Amino acid sequence: MFSNAGHHSVTKIVSCGLAIAFAVAIGSASRSLVAQDLAAQAPVSQTAFADTIVPFMENHCTMCHGESDGEGGVNLASLSSAEAIRSNTELWETVIRLVSERQMPPSDEVQPGDEEIASLVKAVHSELAAIDCAGVSAPGRVTIRRLNRAEYNNTIRDLLGVDFRPADDFPADDVGNGFDNIGDVLSMPTLLLEKYLGAAEQIVDRVWLDIELRERIYSSLPDEPVAKVEAIRVAFRKFADRAFRRPVGDEEFARLFRVMEFAFSQGASEEQILKTGIQAVLVSPHFLFRAESDQGEGAVDGIRPLSDWELATRLSYFLWSSMPDETLFELARSGQLHEPQTLIQQVERMLDDVKSRALVDNFAGQWLQLRELSRLTPDAEKFPQFDDALRQSMRRETELFFETLLKEDRSILEFLNADFSFVNQRLANHYGIEGVEGDEFQRIGLGAGRRGVLTQASILMLTSNPTRTSPVKRGKWVLENILGEPPPPPPAGVVQLEEGAEVLGTLRERMEQHRTNPTCASCHKRMDTIGFGLENFDPIGAWRSEDGKQSIDPSGDLGGGVTFAGPAELMEILLEQKSEAFARCLAKKMLTYALGRGVTSSDRCAVNTIMDDLQKNDYRFQTLVKGIVLSEPFLYRQAKDKE
Amino acid sequence: MGSTSAFSRRAALRGLGLSLGLPLLPSLATKSVRAASAETSNIPRRMAFIFVPNGVHVPDWTPQQTGFGYELPFTLQPLAGVRESVSVLSGLTHDRGRANGDGAGDHARSASVFLTGSQPRKTDGANIRSGISVDQIGAQKLGHLTRFPSLELGCERGQGAGNCDSGYSCAYSSNISWASSSMPVGKEVDPRLAFERLFAGGKKSDVDASQGQRLALRRSILDYVADDAKTLQTKLSGNDQRKMDEYLTSVREIERRVERSRLSNDAVLPNHGIEYPVPQGVPSDYAEHMRLMCDMVVLAFQTDSTRIATLMFANAGSNRPYKNLDVPDGHHELSHHGGDARKHAKIRKINQFHIAQLAYLLQRLRSIPEGDGTLLDHSMICYGSGLSDGDRHNHDNLPLLLCGGGGGEITSGRHIRYEGETPVCNLFLSMLDIMGAPTDWMGDSTGRLSGLKV
Repeated sequence: MFSNAGHHSVTKIVSCGLAIAFAVAIGSASRSLVAQDLAAQAPVSQTAFADTIVPFMENHCTMCHGESDGEGGVNLASLSSAEAIRSNTELWETVIRLVSERQMPPSDEVQPGDEEIASLVKAVHSELAAIDCAGVSAPGRVTIRRLNRAEYNNTIRDLLGVDFRPADDFPADDVGNGFDNIGDVLSMPTLLLEKYLGAAEQIVDRVWLDIELRERIYSSLPDEPVAKVEAIRVAFRKFADRAFRRPVGDEEFARLFRVMEFAFSQGASEEQILKTGIQAVLVSPHFLFRAESDQGEGAVDGIRPLSDWELATRLSYFLWSSMPDETLFELARSGQLHEPQTLIQQVERMLDDVKSRALVDNFAGQWLQLRELSRLTPDAEKFPQFDDALRQSMRRETELFFETLLKEDRSILEFLNADFSFVNQRLANHYGIEGVEGDEFQRIGLGAGRRGVLTQASILMLTSNPTRTSPVKRGKWVLENILGEPPPPPPAGVVQLEEGAEVLGTLRERMEQHRTNPTCASCHKRMDTIGFGLENFDPIGAWRSEDGKQSIDPSGDLGGGVTFAGPAELMEILLEQKSEAFARCLAKKMLTYALGRGVTSSDRCAVNTIMDDLQKNDYRFQTLVKGIVLSEPFLYRQAKDKE
Repeated sequence: MGSTSAFSRRAALRGLGLSLGLPLLPSLATKSVRAASAETSNIPRRMAFIFVPNGVHVPDWTPQQTGFGYELPFTLQPLAGVRESVSVLSGLTHDRGRANGDGAGDHARSASVFLTGSQPRKTDGANIRSGISVDQIGAQKLGHLTRFPSLELGCERGQGAGNCDSGYSCAYSSNISWASSSMPVGKEVDPRLAFERLFAGGKKSDVDASQGQRLALRRSILDYVADDAKTLQTKLSGNDQRKMDEYLTSVREIERRVERSRLSNDAVLPNHGIEYPVPQGVPSDYAEHMRLMCDMVVLAFQTDSTRIATLMFANAGSNRPYKNLDVPDGHHELSHHGGDARKHAKIRKINQFHIAQLAYLLQRLRSIPEGDGTLLDHSMICYGSGLSDGDRHNHDNLPLLLCGGGGGEITSGRHIRYEGETPVCNLFLSMLDIMGAPTDWMGDSTGRLSGLKV
């Protein structure tokens, strides 16, 4: 591999020169702007590519990352042209981040010099900057989404007025990209369809028990048979429109109505007939899935704006995890919803609505992993004070905190450094805060040690083991969920470090092994340092200055002269140096959740636009939400699957 | 008692099937495949697979001697009462559980590879991909013979957030049954729901004249939604179409079941003279939970509601503490023992605790007479982990047990040591043969596993 490198680079350069020439030659009329850009930039960036990027890769990277099954699944040898960088921006951003942080190459390999790194970063940056956001449209494609459990419960509640959470008995929804609303991952096993059928029966039974609910669908039917059938037809069609979240077509409705006609032919009672129709709607794919057709109108180059009906549905499932309400339907009917000003007003209205609690439960619950709290059982002997009430209070604190930042439209950077939070008496006792009484949560100012969400008991507990803290878990959690800079996985075959137990030395002393082993050091240096900065918090998030007989040392050195004495200073450093990384991380997570698909390189322009808006508006939370709703991937759809 | 009613019910079913023009059920399905006594050959064979996470403490698992009469190692001691029905299979490997270039994530892989023998695609988002699992191969071939093609059970719900292991989707960690390479089969964790699903309407009194009409209406709903899905499918492409395929597959499966329950009148438990209290949801005691799930397997097999089951005692990488065993540490955390003897001691306690639940299942199966033997004699229970040592994360020499007589096709009570790197999938091929559902290959199989019968 290595010895062939020179030869390879020659063929690469030749072949990519050809590729560019070819691209220029065939640039279609509609994309001629892009083609011209390429023509204008290609020679320059191609030189940087050949002079800087290729040699760096060959000297420092491709020995391990040079096969289709390269280390960590990363293959940098297939890089054939500068174009490859543009088509996988996520990867290349990770490459330059890891190289400039000196996490890669591992410290037991030959290290690149500072200048070498600087020119690589510059070359890749100029390549990334050359991406023309105005010229290329790439909204991506969201796979048809099945309602997940939360969405099903809420939709049934809003459609029929029964609120008994039938989906709580459904099998858990599978998770992809960190969320359980990802179209590609949500499957439809037989067990689940069976549950939908059973739930539909239970639901209509409940509706029929309540005259008021029943009359919301069928009110005062006439006695005369012909008129009655007509009234049923009209009422049922209205119901189907709402359930399918769009006007149902004539032929489509005729087929639906036939289910009731069949029931009639079987001698079923009137009640049974009406119930059967509703059941059919509730297990129809048009109800259970949020489908966006490939045959919509207005497509240009295979990309089309979503219809207002589709938009209403995207919006309501994003902010409410439920179906659109009458206001959204009305705006769709009148064709106004897609207007930016209307969308902004609707976002504000919807966030004000109590239903936006769903964003806390489902987005925050998964981004910050609060849902996991219910699965954890800290050791009862070490933590006799822990009980379910405390667990609930921990979760509630973080939920209220998130909700407050959102509803008061505060800066999202307060996730890192807010000097306030919410406690009830139970949690106040846990934190050692005096003067808070009762079960009600109240807003309080924080003392010296705690700042932002990372010092809340919920996060501290879910990044611990049952008997002890895990600085590695905490550090890794911060890198993954707060900074969006996940460490690469440990190389295959690496021996796990003895992290626990009562061997000689403090946890910190034992973890120093991570630094002495060069394979581990490159990544663990940051991870462990951040984790140790939080060591003043025990596995259930209470403050401590000692762990057993050892006193806690929460200081750390992040390299480059950046040091901190304890958790509050660590948060200040994150704020000063990592605001943008955090904002970008949160923006990508929320975009993932809003779209129901993973964010990819092709979303780079959309994310950059959202980031620009955020920076201009003091990182206000609602600016982020609006930016997502107004982004191209949210408003448009690539009509045909490329496959 | 069990055998006669099971047999006559099947005979009745078959008769009805013919008169209604249903596809002819294979006559006493697997007679030709095996050479057992006439009595035994009438009795269906069953197979179940039980998964435990995080590997085991190997030195306390593997017997010193091979062949019959080996000394039970610490972990396997709860099996003393049923040891003649248990074989330890050493040396088998799931090569596709290894990184093979995909880096970390052995825990996720250990579950997804367990019954598929397929390399899972490393993704926590789109395009999850593994392979069809042995139980589902069997279910697709034999499922038409019973009310349920297969039963999927577990004791832990799928994880609710995050990628579950080093970039692998949680789907890999929380499922062992895969209906196709892209579709894990959801599992039931609530014993009450599992019971109701198996035996809903199980009381004679529930079955009245309106039942027929209800089923007819259900059918018409299914017809309608299948139509809808097909129409919708024409407007979609790519992944969207595949999702509609999944939906249609499930609709057809339920249609078949509606048809079958129309034929069988559904009073399953009373027909078998079985009294079993409806379970009350997930019990707080974990052992009780596992035993209830084992009961569901036993009831399903006993009533011939299905012949194939999978059960995950816990999900891959489970970090549950075992306070009842005086082990407050999380299981996954402990499994990274780093050679610490105290951790080994805790791990083997957990291993033994799981084995004790298996012993319970085997005893239950053995307590049910069937033909000239017991239900256990006609079953195959494959128990094990997709990891060998939780610290080394190795996928060779996996801890695997094969229990039950397989209708006379398995000589149990032995420790069999196979040559290293023998694929676990070879065992699966042999099990499928015994089930009467032979297939040419699956996963990374290279042939049949020899020596199961002597």
